[in-house]
Amino acid sequence: MNGPLLKRTWRSYAFRLAIVCLALAGWGSVLPIVYSQFGAAFRDMIESGILPEAMTNFGGGDVFSLSGSIALGFIHPIAIILLSVFAVGFTTGAFAGERQRGTLEILLARPISRRRSYLTILVSVFGFLGLALAAYLVGSVVSASLFDVVGEIDTTRLPLVWANGLLMFGSIATIALAASVSFDRLGPALGITLAILLVAYFFEILGTLWPDAAFLQPYSLFHYLQTRDILNGQADPFAFALLGTIIVVTIVYALIVFPRRDLAAPS
Amino acid sequence: MDAIETVGLTKYYGRKPPPIHPPFLHPAGIVRALEDLTISVREGEIFGFLGPNGAGKSTMIRLLLGFIHPTGGKGRVLGLDIVRDSVAIRSRIGYLPGGIALYDSMTGVSLLDYLAELTGHAPVRRAELCDRLELSTRTLRRPVRDYSRGMRQKIGIVQALQHDPPLAILDEPTEGLDPLMQRAFYSMLDDLKAAGRTIFFSSHVLSEVERVCDRVAIIRRGWLVALEEVAKLLDRRKRNVEMRLSGPPPRLEGVPGVSGLAVADGRVTLHLEGDMGPFLRAIQGAPITDLTIEPAHLEEAFLEYYADADPGATEDGESSRPVVPSPPPAAAAR
Repeated sequence: MNGPLLKRTWRSYAFRLAIVCLALAGWGSVLPIVYSQFGAAFRDMIESGILPEAMTNFGGGDVFSLSGSIALGFIHPIAIILLSVFAVGFTTGAFAGERQRGTLEILLARPISRRRSYLTILVSVFGFLGLALAAYLVGSVVSASLFDVVGEIDTTRLPLVWANGLLMFGSIATIALAASVSFDRLGPALGITLAILLVAYFFEILGTLWPDAAFLQPYSLFHYLQTRDILNGQADPFAFALLGTIIVVTIVYALIVFPRRDLAAPS
Repeated sequence: MDAIETVGLTKYYGRKPPPIHPPFLHPAGIVRALEDLTISVREGEIFGFLGPNGAGKSTMIRLLLGFIHPTGGKGRVLGLDIVRDSVAIRSRIGYLPGGIALYDSMTGVSLLDYLAELTGHAPVRRAELCDRLELSTRTLRRPVRDYSRGMRQKIGIVQALQHDPPLAILDEPTEGLDPLMQRAFYSMLDDLKAAGRTIFFSSHVLSEVERVCDRVAIIRRGWLVALEEVAKLLDRRKRNVEMRLSGPPPRLEGVPGVSGLAVADGRVTLHLEGDMGPFLRAIQGAPITDLTIEPAHLEEAFLEYYADADPGATEDGESSRPVVPSPPPAAAAR
């Protein structure tokens, strides 16, 4: 790791981090309120048969339990877009973006190895994601406490939820970093990462809404975001192992490929 | 010890195209960027690296800095291997990239502080450099996004030299500077040289290379075609001489160094090469009313080396130069 690069990265992203954390804390507080105020009404509606049963489960979340509503908030596009500011935007811009702008030139002309610069950015993105996910969970717990429903979940399992979220969004971040170190322009790195993210999201949501497409779910990263299961005491170690493996493989790829690449003059 | 030493340094980009490929694919194949480059830059000299766009200047610099990896050959910078010790090399040099890009959101001073911190050396020369390049404290407090092209170039020069490196590698350093600032920059180079620093200077502005450099290397399409002291290179160039006479012209046929002699209407023009003594003795006593001897310029030497080049090679970028039967290095290369 490189101290000055780490310091500058955190300083230049401090404002964005604060905004994303506040937004996620706010978003995290919304679904427990919806659950506490309208959960019973939704349950009655489902039980009456007005809505198809498939609608009771959206990406592993629902609004009929506190654990389900926290899980729903996690996989909702709002949370994914906010977390993608770091998992996709920051990571793809870190190398491919800087190559395109020509500023990587001035950084790598210093006595800092490519591996070290990569590891510094990696540590930063995990730090950003860790804080953002913690903000979401804090918002959820505070909101649930205020509406007197926090007793419905075992709060000692929240660190495991946080770790699972960090591994999931961390795997997207390391895929994005692998793309970032592989290209000289932002477009391809961003395009590949977004394609993986959107396809994975589509597979997971389609699988939860349409039973015939459930076979697609294991091919989605989002399938291994197991917030509700963890809060219900049913954590699957395989999900952690798989996400951890993806992170390790993409990090190893980047650590091998980036130092070996020829960084020709920016055009 | 030489500040920079390369032996047979070679760089190819790309891969050999497959023997069979769909017609809509036009594989670029192997592009020869630098071929068998052997040079040495002595400590304490200002060394000019000349060539048109796409000749391989930037490729050479990027090899020295470890941005790209050589296909063949070896190189050492300040005694360190360019492949194994690139991080150590970068801690001991200053580098100004061509067409420098800076972090626009930072102020000038915070950018210089950040880059000095990354380099790991105190910016001992910053105040002096900013003073000479007329970068005031007020200017440095403004965001880089507000800077003009010339001001960005000045920041680039300061960041490359602020930690007083023993070797500075400067790619087109006067690009965007006004003539006054160019002069200030040349004077800074003179001072650096006097202080024993080595400058490796890439440019296609021949007048400035002639003005500041001790030796020059000229490359053409990746090949070294000349490596010589500027003074010696100029000595061998032909000077244009013009005389106006009020009487019969002197006998100049057969005088050593004289060629291209033309006499018309009391006006004599000729080319003069090498020692001027025989020519001056030959015109002694002639009825000369006016005499002009134009000094030789590096431009003529440079153009001579490029006279037989493929026109496309001087204009196109590196990517447009696929491997073709290679022109051998000119006999002048040494």
